[in-house]
Amino acid sequence: MIVEAFRLVFEPSVLLFIVLGVASGICIGCLPGLTTTMGVALVLPLTFGMDATHSILLLIGVYVGAVYGGSIAAILLNTPGTPASAATALDGYKMASKGEAGRALGISTSSSFIGGMISCVYLILISPILAKFALKFSAPEFFMLAVFGLCIISSISGKSMMKGLISGALGILLATIGIDSITGSMRFTFNNMNLFSGINFIPVMIGLFAMSQAFIGVEEMKQKTVVARAITHVFPKRSDWGMIVKSGFVYGTMGTLIGCIPGVGADIASFIAYGQAKSFSKHPELFGTGLPEAIAAPEAANNGVTGGALIPMLTLGVPGDAVAAIMIGALMVQGLQPGPLLFQNNGPIVYALFIGCFIANICMFVLGLNSVRLFAKVLSVPKSILVPTIFLLCFVGSYALNNSIFDVAVMLFFGIVGYFLQKTEVSSSPVILGLILGPMAESNFRRALLMSKGDYSTFISTGISITFFVLIIISLALPLFQKKFLKRQI
Amino acid sequence: MKKMFVVCMVLAVVAGTLFAGGATETAGATYPNGPATIICPYSAGGGSDSVSRALAAAMKVDFPAGIAVENRTGGAGSVGMSYGMHSKPNGQIITMVAPELVMLPHTGTGGDIDYKKFIPLAIVNSGYAAITVSADSPYKTLEDLLVAAKTKDLQFGNSGIGSIWHLAGAGLEQAAGVEFTHVPFDGSSAAITSLLGNHLDGVSVSYAEVASQVEAGALRTLAVLAPNRLSDYPDVPTAGELGYDVVIGTWRGYCVPVGTPQATVDFLTASIMKAVKTDTFIKFMKNTNNDIEVIGTAAFAEKLQREDEFYAKLIEKIGLAQ
Repeated sequence: MIVEAFRLVFEPSVLLFIVLGVASGICIGCLPGLTTTMGVALVLPLTFGMDATHSILLLIGVYVGAVYGGSIAAILLNTPGTPASAATALDGYKMASKGEAGRALGISTSSSFIGGMISCVYLILISPILAKFALKFSAPEFFMLAVFGLCIISSISGKSMMKGLISGALGILLATIGIDSITGSMRFTFNNMNLFSGINFIPVMIGLFAMSQAFIGVEEMKQKTVVARAITHVFPKRSDWGMIVKSGFVYGTMGTLIGCIPGVGADIASFIAYGQAKSFSKHPELFGTGLPEAIAAPEAANNGVTGGALIPMLTLGVPGDAVAAIMIGALMVQGLQPGPLLFQNNGPIVYALFIGCFIANICMFVLGLNSVRLFAKVLSVPKSILVPTIFLLCFVGSYALNNSIFDVAVMLFFGIVGYFLQKTEVSSSPVILGLILGPMAESNFRRALLMSKGDYSTFISTGISITFFVLIIISLALPLFQKKFLKRQI
Repeated sequence: MKKMFVVCMVLAVVAGTLFAGGATETAGATYPNGPATIICPYSAGGGSDSVSRALAAAMKVDFPAGIAVENRTGGAGSVGMSYGMHSKPNGQIITMVAPELVMLPHTGTGGDIDYKKFIPLAIVNSGYAAITVSADSPYKTLEDLLVAAKTKDLQFGNSGIGSIWHLAGAGLEQAAGVEFTHVPFDGSSAAITSLLGNHLDGVSVSYAEVASQVEAGALRTLAVLAPNRLSDYPDVPTAGELGYDVVIGTWRGYCVPVGTPQATVDFLTASIMKAVKTDTFIKFMKNTNNDIEVIGTAAFAEKLQREDEFYAKLIEKIGLAQ
């Protein structure tokens, strides 16, 4: 069976499709507004005429490429290409502005690679165990996970915790817009149909990051680019490798675990990884200034999700995230039924998929390292050309998402909000975190109480939720202890 | 070389988005005098999207200038349906509609959508609700479940508050005179996952969505809320057979706005009727667990009116009416 799988994958056209998939994935990921999910959905109709191996491996290529590609724009332009790379922008852009763009991209590429490879290993070796773990998640566990994620606000607030909390609260408040998911009543919709299903967070993200960055670019238009930065250390230095491999293993594992929980994706994983990297760092105060491990952790985690998200899809037939949901559709078009019987009925295809995941990650690594110099050229483009291009991409990206002018208006509004946030040194990342996690926390809180008939003990009734409870306490208390400890040392 | 590639990719993406919905103003004598667009009110990559794309591919022979699918999502489908309803009645915008067209207005979440402002062409596919429990559940038949519901609190997962599968669970409740706790999830697959993890007593989503789990022996369907037994799964009884008169299901139909010339309506209907008989479409639908059920213009119009009244009453009864 494995021999047959190798025969399926190592056909020149299949390999070509993986390369094409990864390459177009990287480009899709790079462009703000074209998210990973959208990239895979765009490619899906093209696969209808292909056979199963070509189709699924092309999609996996796009998936792996796009999750990685988002970090390129995040590092070079402070504009996360996909929500999954919003955490990477925090330190990646800082490192790039210190003149180390090559190093930052190198670290993100290699930790993405290791994170991705680790998740493939888990996918092959222990997916039935992980799938069982994933099924244990019910509303109370999801709520605790969301709260744990929200604690990360303290890590990404920048200089002032108060400002971080304000922007996080803004995000959660924005997330309440739309039809209430439990009672069905309208909240802040002003009878505007476009608001019924809430504010889409992609236009908000494009506005807060890309558009506001472009506004600031307009101010700096007259200034000459300070240094023509040499792109060095694209292939990470030996001193960086130790950290990269360690982060790759730790946060790749974390990403896989988060990825296999249905409904939780790469965006949440990368924020949680960033927060954890900061809590367990020896010098948390340097986070946000361009620290290598602050780039490696979220990147390893978000590519770790790629393998993790495939676990419930292959073993249970339920999607691990939005991309896996589209892949289930793609498999069904091919006449394959994802789920418990897939291994029995279509073994070779499943093994081909495993092998393809490895190849896609290797391909991403090679393509990534080789194109870094090309992408980094963006830094030497004069502001007078770069800024209008970003404006254009912001408009196109937010429109293309849903063919909606309303989304463009949302993007523009948050571009202006983001500009003032930057001017007042309020970090925009907590807004995004609040928007992503707010609905998850709220709906699961209420769903849990609905299922437990209003009994609050449901939130600490299982092993998983107690574990999260402890983790929440630790991650909130740890910085306080560290502060005390540091003071004593001084 | 690589630079060229990137430049080309970027240009292609930009050009694609700029010109995708563009050239609709071509003038000509007889329909189709230009490209046509099917508006899918649900997101790319989902079931409605792929069925619409497969249908568009099969209809392509009749549209020399092309027929494309455009996703306009939001508000449980109301955004896309409203867009299609307000488009020019020249046959260039065809709108995919679903039961939400006659449900959402009653819950007050439909914006301005109104089924009377559409001319129905045809329904191509339907999927009925299935009352499904976990394989190791104590309930072996629908009767077991409904008897238990009289004394116990049974939790039923659905795909969202006021969604078709919520109404399916509520419809059974009404017909059997029992009460369930309805637990809304964000989409059917989240509810199914929760059932697989034994956090629920059952789900009331469509059979197509649970079919693979039922075949694999992880879940068990007790009854379908369909008019007849499903041809692919003849062992599962209908609720009607068991004495509960309730039929609730989703369907995917295609409409054009009121005012569209009759010749265009006839052309489109004929094109859809031809498309659903092509081998590629039939194979696609079979592979994706979508049952083809073709309903022509007249019966479709009747169905809309009948379901509009039915959902108005049901939504009123369960207290979701606005």
